[in-house]
Amino acid sequence: MLLEVSNLRLYFKTLRGDVKAVDGVSFSLDKGKTLGIVGESGCGKSSTANAIVRNLPRNVSRYEGRICLEDMDLIPLSEDEFRSKIRWRRISMVFQGAMNSLNPVLKVGFQVAEPLIIHKGLSRGEALKIVEELFRLVGLSSEIVNRYPHELSGGMKQRAIIAMALTLNPDILILDEPTSALDVSIQAQIMNLLKNLKRKLGISMIFITHDIALASDICDEFGVMYAGELVELGSAEKILPSPKHPYTQKLLSSIPRLHSDKTPEFIPGAPPDLVAPPSGCRFHPRCPYVMDKCSRENPPNTLVNGGFVKCWLYK
Amino acid sequence: MGLGKTLALKGLTLIVVLISVLLFTVLIIGASGLSDRVLSSIMNEELRGIRQKLTTQIRDPEELNRAMDEIKQDLVKAYGLDKPWYARIPNMILRIVTLDLGSAREVQTFTGSNRISDIILERIPNTILLMTSALIINFVLGLVIGPRIALRHGTKMDKAISLYSAISYALPTWWLGMLMILFFSFKLRIFPFGGMYSVPPSEDTFMRFLDLLWHVMLPLITLVLALSGSWIYITRSIVLSVAQEDFVSVARVKGLPEDLVRRRYIVRVAASPILTNVVLGLAGSIAGAILTEIVFDWPGMGTLYYKAVMSVDESLILALTYIFTLIYVLARFILEILYVVLDPRVRL
Amino acid sequence: MSFIRESFSEFWASNISKIGILFLAILVAVSIYTVTTLPLDFGVRYWYNPVYWVDYPKSAQPEWINIFLSEKLMSHVELSISKASGIKPYNNRFIKYYNVSYNHECNQFPKFITLRISDLLFYRRDSPPIVRFYVTRPDGRTIELYTLAIETISSNATPPFRYFSMEPKRILLSGDIYLARSLVSFLYREFNISLGTSGVLEVGSEKIIFGSIGGDNTFTPLIGRYVFSAVLICSDVNDGIGMFNVVLGGYVYGLMGTDVLGRDLFQGLLFGFPIALIIGVGVSLLTTFIGAGLGIVSGYIGGRVDDFIQRFADTINNIPLLPLLILLSFIFGGRLWLIIFVLVFFNWPSLTIIVRSMVLSAKASQFIEAAVAIGASRLRIMVKHIFPQVAPFVFAQMIFFTPYAILAESALSFLGLGDVTMPTWGQILEYGFKNGAVFLGYWWWILPPGLFIVYSAVTFVFIALGMEPVVNPRLRRWK
Repeated sequence: MLLEVSNLRLYFKTLRGDVKAVDGVSFSLDKGKTLGIVGESGCGKSSTANAIVRNLPRNVSRYEGRICLEDMDLIPLSEDEFRSKIRWRRISMVFQGAMNSLNPVLKVGFQVAEPLIIHKGLSRGEALKIVEELFRLVGLSSEIVNRYPHELSGGMKQRAIIAMALTLNPDILILDEPTSALDVSIQAQIMNLLKNLKRKLGISMIFITHDIALASDICDEFGVMYAGELVELGSAEKILPSPKHPYTQKLLSSIPRLHSDKTPEFIPGAPPDLVAPPSGCRFHPRCPYVMDKCSRENPPNTLVNGGFVKCWLYK
Repeated sequence: MGLGKTLALKGLTLIVVLISVLLFTVLIIGASGLSDRVLSSIMNEELRGIRQKLTTQIRDPEELNRAMDEIKQDLVKAYGLDKPWYARIPNMILRIVTLDLGSAREVQTFTGSNRISDIILERIPNTILLMTSALIINFVLGLVIGPRIALRHGTKMDKAISLYSAISYALPTWWLGMLMILFFSFKLRIFPFGGMYSVPPSEDTFMRFLDLLWHVMLPLITLVLALSGSWIYITRSIVLSVAQEDFVSVARVKGLPEDLVRRRYIVRVAASPILTNVVLGLAGSIAGAILTEIVFDWPGMGTLYYKAVMSVDESLILALTYIFTLIYVLARFILEILYVVLDPRVRL
Repeated sequence: MSFIRESFSEFWASNISKIGILFLAILVAVSIYTVTTLPLDFGVRYWYNPVYWVDYPKSAQPEWINIFLSEKLMSHVELSISKASGIKPYNNRFIKYYNVSYNHECNQFPKFITLRISDLLFYRRDSPPIVRFYVTRPDGRTIELYTLAIETISSNATPPFRYFSMEPKRILLSGDIYLARSLVSFLYREFNISLGTSGVLEVGSEKIIFGSIGGDNTFTPLIGRYVFSAVLICSDVNDGIGMFNVVLGGYVYGLMGTDVLGRDLFQGLLFGFPIALIIGVGVSLLTTFIGAGLGIVSGYIGGRVDDFIQRFADTINNIPLLPLLILLSFIFGGRLWLIIFVLVFFNWPSLTIIVRSMVLSAKASQFIEAAVAIGASRLRIMVKHIFPQVAPFVFAQMIFFTPYAILAESALSFLGLGDVTMPTWGQILEYGFKNGAVFLGYWWWILPPGLFIVYSAVTFVFIALGMEPVVNPRLRRWK
């Protein structure tokens, strides 16, 4: 096991109260595998990613749990240790909204080379050579090295950012909605690139998206998040054909299919308020199978099929 | 493409500005009839003086009148009063653009020269001394305090600085100057009431220097107190908005050390909008210069302009308006160059 | 709707906004009070009319300064009476008395003494009354101050005959020769002091009238009750004076003191409130309207219109404002419309440039494309779809621009180029500065006008600061 996350909690302080963005999330990632984390907007998937790379704002009220990277617990590490040992070398990230991830006044090549200069102590020339190779890997021409971000198209920027995330050969690459801002054809290209990288480099990835169909293309395992909790976790082959949790079922049936006549269903109700989530099982107000117990007690994780499900139906 | 074209375009705009301002000033003075009035009264003064002198030489009244008529005709031609005011314009503009600025009527340099170029050359260093020192101090304050406050957004310190900036912005510099004089010069008798040196100025260079320092203190303190507030606030706001950008988080997650993030990702990026604001603040600087100099009787370009307008010295007004616009335009141009260099997005 | 409610609660959350709104309410309240109490032509009719202020003390401090002083300064005193205090037959005439009394408690001499009578009435054409003025001091001594002879009537008018109905008769005793001579004999008769007329004038009549003689011929103020009398020696019992006033020039006056012309600074300062509001709000409204409007047009329509507007804006941005403003004001005379016009003209470009770039990014959004596809006209799109996007920023700019306009106008007034028909704070300061108030330490003339300027500017700055999190959502408080 490369990464093991247990009971991760991340709360933010706001005027109305604490936002429980990540509320007791546990999962693990094996080497070379890709874990997808899916869910609606605002369910806490980006926050989970941010919690792992410690990209925290100033109003954090709770940040606890265990994040074990090959037996090293990351949360107790000091800022300095985390920065020099973990950041970018072991775990790197591609952020949501790649449009704004590049510094507008620095050349693209230089920004991508920066981690090499800072962490590995390479000279500028040596680092840029490596960058050129990386660019080739992601399908960018080497002259992009001398360009500025505003001169690149969306797809090119995304590739550059993926290249940037790979500079130090990290163990884990986290991608937060890497294709949301791109149009469909570019999306396909980027997905192909990622699949290629997965094959060639054997890199372990956490792929965060709201688009299950997209995730199913590349993910080995799936975690479904709802209201700050993981409600189902399992391998793609098991979950996709037979989802256990009612929410997962709803998610999958809301995807329109090319070869079937079935009308896509929608999920009634609205996403829950993370400051005051529903009592008991957080999905119970929208669940078609809701029972009495569901509104009173939050179901525990039930092991099922090599993964788990958080639902009273299976207890 | 890129640098050259942008700059050339800016340069062209600025030249257009210069010429239009000049034209405008000349037109205003001429079309309002002021030009004719003033020139006539000057001419008549001269005539009176000549007549006085001649009466001692020529006794016969008829002969005197004839001589006066001749002289008057010559003078009218010399002053250009025989032509309508707009005919005088091309000549005037040509002279000014080539920096042949002519002479002032009433104002003189300390050495007694009437030539406008001498007067300006004598006074510009005084203005530069005051304004540049204030500008530098404000700039440094802004750059030192602004980012620090931005990173403490929401704290008491931030609120206190915001309050200080709000009040400082609302404070008229010239009124603050008056208060300073009232308090420090009148009440406490620590600083002088105004001017640049004591009268008579001392011979010893070192004492002169100290004397200058003593005189420049109040105006300088006034300028810094009145202007630093808004300047700090602007740098704070800009740094704050840059610090919240995504690429700053990315830089941190990349594992870059905090001070590098601050330097390269926050300050570097904030530099260009901050510079834009410096440019924008230039207009305010010139206004501030004029008003502060008047309150403190500082012998610089500001008081000179004021005197020129009040005594309707046409050539001096024209010359000064031109010089002001020229300086302003040049300064903006230099700053625009810096702006283009710092922010690659601006290049065409 | 909820957007407005949400914005408002965001705005109200910080203390600074509350203070700003409070200040604004006070500003508006005082302006309303001013406009209803003082006449609209106050400037021309009173402020710039020196005659109106003749009987006011010059350069007097505010009355409340006496709270802080151990030795109280003398207040300005105006005594009056409109009914005769008594009447006595005298030979075949009458003597009518008009007496006013005053308790002098301060250790100063009055700055000046003025006597005034109005509405002198008499019935015998050839026998007009004689008016004599006296003062009786606390030590019982009486001084004859002045004699006023009335001319006989030569016209065919019918009695009663009136003098001083339109304008009161004003007698400034300080420096009057007649009084000086009277004082010479007074001093000699009562105290055996020989002082010539010029000597009396040098010392000052007020000192002698209100003073007791000290050891080395110096005068110290005499505390006690003074009675001023106007004595009418008339032929008809119905002859009389409508009103008799005595003005004793004081050192303190009113809420805010007076300036060197004696003008009541409280009234002048009051008038500055509505003017500041009008100028501030007026200029910023116009500038914002023009600037934002042109910015939207320029950004949305694009093409040549965009180019032209941008070039024009850039050109104006490069012109230094103040020198030209000074020149224009000087040539055309200080006029409110000119100031407003120039301020608007030179300041709309910066707003246009910023709004334009905001419009450019809004233009690319999909619902604009949709609106165009539906066939909405350009005007409709600009008004209904683009404008709401930039509205919060524009509104904040407008608020932020108001103090600038107020400060600019006061700067201009300070240079002597303001509108001369209405007193503004800048003008009061200009007059003060020109008359050396700063160097003479006349703090009551210098401090209040500037404080009010700062106050009204700060009001809008606070409101603008409160608007900041509304306009820039990223700054919203999460704590």
